[in-house]
Amino acid sequence: MSATADSNPYGIYRVTWAILLVITVAMLAAEHFHMPRWFLVLFLLAFMAVKAAMIGGNFMHLRHEHRRMTIMVAGGIVLTSLVLLAVITPEARNVKARTTAPPLPPPSSAHSPE
Amino acid sequence: MNDAAHAVDMAADWGGGVSPFGATWQKTMMWIFIITDALLFSGLLSGYAYLRMAGQSTWPATRDVFSLPFIALMTFILITSSMWMGTAVTASRLGDRKKALNNLILTICGGAAFLGCQAYEWSHLIHEGARLTSNPWGAPQFGATFFLLTGFHGSHVFSGLVILIITAIRTGLGKTPAQGVEVAGLYWHFVDLVWVFIFTLFYLLPN
Repeated sequence: MSATADSNPYGIYRVTWAILLVITVAMLAAEHFHMPRWFLVLFLLAFMAVKAAMIGGNFMHLRHEHRRMTIMVAGGIVLTSLVLLAVITPEARNVKARTTAPPLPPPSSAHSPE
Repeated sequence: MNDAAHAVDMAADWGGGVSPFGATWQKTMMWIFIITDALLFSGLLSGYAYLRMAGQSTWPATRDVFSLPFIALMTFILITSSMWMGTAVTASRLGDRKKALNNLILTICGGAAFLGCQAYEWSHLIHEGARLTSNPWGAPQFGATFFLLTGFHGSHVFSGLVILIITAIRTGLGKTPAQGVEVAGLYWHFVDLVWVFIFTLFYLLPN
């Protein structure tokens, strides 16, 4: 990579652009391959993370910034998002389970006849 | 204490001469702004995740609602504009003003084309019956999340275009230093970054 960057300072952008396009096409094509849903979701999320890292690292030059700056930006955004998701996901499932649960029987039928 | 004495006191206290994170204050402030803006989109996407997971109705299959090749074209335009923006930043840093200006103009064209595509997509969906509170395809929250997510992103693209047009004009006049182009570029790449998440989480994620 360093040889490419030395000979052509713009090469990194073209390489990144090409990889991003290939990944985008792969993500679009993925649903045509009959794979389990969990694998498709994992595949899409993994490639989304790769694309985000490439844009942050190569286009935004984050990998050339001060290490503390990188930690502040990437760590701050990723950790906050993960906390939000970690709280929201179980709560959403909880709400859905409660609203789709069958209604409780009326109180009178709860007593056994004497 | 008068203002002059106060300023001298502050400078003496800090010492000066060393930039935080080894970056200019403009770049540092842009990064901090990007963090806050990313958290805004993080909240919006979390809200979307909640509505999609907690809702009773079936979430519409996006391939039945959107033309995914058209959305892929929009993605292609935005990624390509980011490549041009990166080239403009490096050209500006290397002192090649003409190349920087040409690539800034290409980036602006890309951004305008993306906004045109988004306007077409919105008008098409509204014509099909999509509204904030209802739509013909399934869960009523679908319309609200679509318009909010893409609307917020589109407004960021529009702001980015305004910043880029000002930067291009000033670059043409030789008034923008390389760091000015770099800071504008950071914002533009951020807009591209947000689209990566919207594209995957909203358009591609299966039911």
